[in-house]
Amino acid sequence: MNLWNWLALGGAAVLTLIVVAELRRRVRATAAGRRFFRHPTAELGLFVLAFFVTVAIAAPVVAPYAPYYQIDIEHPDHAPSAQFLLGTDPLSRDVWSRLVYGARVSLGIGAVAMLVAATVGTAVGAVAGYFRRGVDAALMRLVDVGLAMPRIFVLLMAVALWEHIALWVLVLLIGLTGWFGTSRLVRAEVLSLREREFVAAARALGAGAGRVIFRHVLPNAAAPIIVSGALGIGHMMLLEAGLSFLGLGVPSPAPSWGNMIADGWHKMSVAWWSSTFPGLAISLVVMALNAVGDALRDALDPRKEAA
Amino acid sequence: MPIARAQTGLTLAALAGLLFVAECERPVGCTGQYCGTMVIASGGEPDILLPPVSEFSITRDLTDQVFLKLADLGLSGNTIGDEDFQPQLAERWEWDAPTTLVFHLDPRARWQDGQAVTAADVAFTYDAYTDTLVNSSFRSSLRQIAAVTTRDSLTVVFRFRQRYPEMFYDAVYHMRILPAHLLREVPRDQWRSAAFGRSPVGDGPYRFVAWKAGESIELAADSTFFLGRPHLRRVIWRFTPDQFVAVTQLIAGDADAVEVLVTPDNVQRARADTQLVTYPYKGSAYGYVGFNLAVPGDSTKPHPLFGDRDLRRALVMATDRERLLRNVFGEFAKVPPGPLSQLWWIWDPEIHELPYDSGQAARLLTRTGWTDSDGDGIRDKGGRPLAFRLLLPTTSAIRRQYARLLQEQFRLGGVDVQLDEVDFSLFNERARAGRFDALLNVWNTDPTPSSGFPQTWTPAGFGRSNYGRYDNPDVDRLVDRAVASAANRDQARRAWRAAVETLNRDAPGIFLFATANVAAVHKRIVDVTIRPDSWLALLRTWRIPADRLTDRDRVER
Amino acid sequence: MAAWLVRRLVASIAIVFAVVTITFFVVHLAHGTPCGPGDRPLPPEVCQQLCRRFGCDKPLRVQYVKYLAALAQGDLSESIGLHRPVADALADAIPNTFILALAALLVDFALGLALGIYQAVRAGRFGDVAAGNVALLVNSMPVFWLGLVLLLVFAQWLRWFPAGGITNPVLCPRIDSPYCLLDFLWHLTLPALTLGLVGAASTARYQRAAMLEVVSQDYVRTARAKGLRERRVLLVHALRNALLPIITLFGLAFPFLFTGAVLIETVFAWPGMGRLAVNAIFQRDYPVVTGAALVTSATVVLGNLIADVLYAVADPRVRVPGEGR
Repeated sequence: MNLWNWLALGGAAVLTLIVVAELRRRVRATAAGRRFFRHPTAELGLFVLAFFVTVAIAAPVVAPYAPYYQIDIEHPDHAPSAQFLLGTDPLSRDVWSRLVYGARVSLGIGAVAMLVAATVGTAVGAVAGYFRRGVDAALMRLVDVGLAMPRIFVLLMAVALWEHIALWVLVLLIGLTGWFGTSRLVRAEVLSLREREFVAAARALGAGAGRVIFRHVLPNAAAPIIVSGALGIGHMMLLEAGLSFLGLGVPSPAPSWGNMIADGWHKMSVAWWSSTFPGLAISLVVMALNAVGDALRDALDPRKEAA
Repeated sequence: MPIARAQTGLTLAALAGLLFVAECERPVGCTGQYCGTMVIASGGEPDILLPPVSEFSITRDLTDQVFLKLADLGLSGNTIGDEDFQPQLAERWEWDAPTTLVFHLDPRARWQDGQAVTAADVAFTYDAYTDTLVNSSFRSSLRQIAAVTTRDSLTVVFRFRQRYPEMFYDAVYHMRILPAHLLREVPRDQWRSAAFGRSPVGDGPYRFVAWKAGESIELAADSTFFLGRPHLRRVIWRFTPDQFVAVTQLIAGDADAVEVLVTPDNVQRARADTQLVTYPYKGSAYGYVGFNLAVPGDSTKPHPLFGDRDLRRALVMATDRERLLRNVFGEFAKVPPGPLSQLWWIWDPEIHELPYDSGQAARLLTRTGWTDSDGDGIRDKGGRPLAFRLLLPTTSAIRRQYARLLQEQFRLGGVDVQLDEVDFSLFNERARAGRFDALLNVWNTDPTPSSGFPQTWTPAGFGRSNYGRYDNPDVDRLVDRAVASAANRDQARRAWRAAVETLNRDAPGIFLFATANVAAVHKRIVDVTIRPDSWLALLRTWRIPADRLTDRDRVER
Repeated sequence: MAAWLVRRLVASIAIVFAVVTITFFVVHLAHGTPCGPGDRPLPPEVCQQLCRRFGCDKPLRVQYVKYLAALAQGDLSESIGLHRPVADALADAIPNTFILALAALLVDFALGLALGIYQAVRAGRFGDVAAGNVALLVNSMPVFWLGLVLLLVFAQWLRWFPAGGITNPVLCPRIDSPYCLLDFLWHLTLPALTLGLVGAASTARYQRAAMLEVVSQDYVRTARAKGLRERRVLLVHALRNALLPIITLFGLAFPFLFTGAVLIETVFAWPGMGRLAVNAIFQRDYPVVTGAALVTSATVVLGNLIADVLYAVADPRVRVPGEGR
């Protein structure tokens, strides 16, 4: 870690602080915003998330070494020091650099998979809640079947049945196995919302089902979607880490926090840093997401609007 | 009342505690010279305990305790002539003619179901080993034997096609004698799945007790073994997902022995542990990246990448094998000058091989048309990138480490390598079927190159050990000459050297490491003698002195 | 109530049926029968037997019917890698995972309830906040990573617990004495603790929220007004009603436990269903994979059913829930 890296890291921290402070100032104008920032853990969580995202974006400046670069293979497993902030792994790659680039992969996978899951879940839940009866019953049975199989098992089977799965297919699958909970939430919201006056008014004015769903119902159902989204990213990241640990996630040499843990596992007793720091990073980010999600749930709860 | 309740509670607790303590005192079981349970932690599991059809070294370790050979190699490892061999099933032998060998079986030998071992068993075994339906990988090693006949119930006659120095070795080393009366009825094409292979009956120092798939195999000593009762009463192999876990169990005290510690960390951990003794011995394994010279799944067409000799040579020259070795093994291996293990007498660092020269490799690649025309860091030719998949098993931490190191080395040279890390059984199936681009393989060699080398690097091994389908008639010729002249060391050495150097020029693979083994055994087990080609060959002489028996050792069965 | 139960039961069976069907068709379409060309060909005479029972060369729907018929008789085909019937392998592995899950649930609920109640009692104060954050952190950890860390610290460095496995195979191949039982419990501790810790944090959060919500209800205020001590109020009156969400958690716990079990069993070499399924998947042992799919989905569905029944029994306000839950 040379001077520029430290400066960049410091800069990222300062930038994050400024962004969070600015966000806080603007959002506290609303009641929801005030409710959100009543949770000190949520504020800290927001900072942690923003920091990791910033660092991931600024990876080339913050990381002193390229993530694939095997620095000195005859002397691997360097302990954390001034030169190697978090040490080097058994293949003599800088752990800090891989952590930073791995943030891109892990956060990216979590976000994209969650996007897929949220989209599909919302669509299915909205359709089921709006049309009810036959469509609803059929879709909800599908959801029940989907929930009956543990996700990791389905993903393992998918990987086993098809020889070489591209990474984007795996991410898609992670998303496609995770939408069931969201669909139930959205369905519940839509069921209650469709009885409200503004929906009846829209239909009286001749709006088609699609328009009613998209323009009128969903925006009011946004709260649970956002909350489950925030919490869901954490689950997706943990799932990716588990798959990488079993050897089925992000392929070598690309770093992800999960396969960094897998790479360093065998040397845990002599070089604990290779596996410990990625695990800590996952824990911190998922904790931040949980805290933010909880606070969002509190903030966006429409029942509290009146209070 | 609270006090009364507490009193009853305490009494009950005390009673329970007494009961537990009483039960914790295990009954005193076995005492004396012939006790002991040795637990061996192994990172691999056998496929089937039927010697002709299995190729795993772990299977060989196990079946060598259950089945006997006619005679066994001595500690010197000399495979020429018959002076250095120890009698096993055969108590003596003589040469009736230059190509006729007569064995006299020991009349005391018994199968573990009570039947006597007869010459008919030996003849049956030879018939099975050479049967095309059984398709044993040892068949080609026995090709110089013309016939095996019986003269009477204890006399077997081997007739050879010609006279050559390692005749006796070929007659005795490869075949483990099988019980004809138990295997005669099993159809030959079903030997690979025979029930006998899950529950074998042999004539060796140990008899099979139980096999829990995925967990352990247990053998018990045969107290009536005619060559001397084994001292260790029970031997249990515990299977672990990989070697690292095996060593962890060893250090935790859950296991007593491990065949190879492999990495410098493990050796350090074992040496630091006061309960263990480390035993270095000559390594019989070598590891390499093997190229598939044919199209995966279609052996008639040459591989689009590796059919090109220049490409293969460039890849070999682009690999800094010394540095890779130091990362993985430290000082516990050497870079081999060809497909050789340190055990082979033909080991010679002077053998000519392709040097590490990344500049020359780059020039060679560019000259053959592989340039980075689209600037993505990977060379390409005619729209096709220089990319291939490397097959390796997940069970070997060594190979996984090498795979990642090689991936980066090649990437810097403009070659894109993707890793196919699969289960060990899957790895073997794909290797044998030729469904791979390149694979990271390790061979445990025989004590002499005469049998193993042709099996892996000549057409005799097509469909068996020669996974990459390498074929060079010059190499075949030189190997034949080397085997034929084995008695004349200098002549043989020259022929072997020429064969290896010719092979090196063709670059059918990148020869990465030849191990120097270090085994670790618990210090209470003494008289540990390790023969480098098969570390448990002398297991029946290992023992635990009566004053060092632990709880585990005293358990009777 | 009975009618509702019957409907739920039928629905559960239908779900398991659907899972088995989907798995069957997916495996057969992607991979074919065990006796077809593929990575792990079965030996010929075993193939003959299997083809007689399951009809290799018949059209897929006939094979499906035969498979169901065999299933009804408890025959789940042969495992390629383990050389024994799939049903036997499952029968050996399921109790191990069940015990692990049970132990983990015990740890989960004991720790979670205790922590949740503590937090509710000290609501808003430092103890609550600190405990809450620690619980949040533990809940966010990758379960296998926590297992690795605990293994390193307690098994390798401190040597307090064994480094994996289920029993000492030499001294205790079967659990036939109190010594062996203790040995088994000793091996069970670390994996159950790991699984339980991660879940306990989540349970604690639910419990705290439930207790706080209940505490503000009328009947609690009545109890307080009657002059009962605060401890009695909380532990006797509030707790009983705050336990309801825990029952839902019980149903949710099953999929989590299986996911966690897959990873924990790998880390601690615990020979349960999770490890069996993972190994079978890696070895392309498809009969075992289909069998494992059947068992896991049945377990999850059963867990949900039990949770629904318990919930209906425990909460008089929720007697015959409609479909809209």
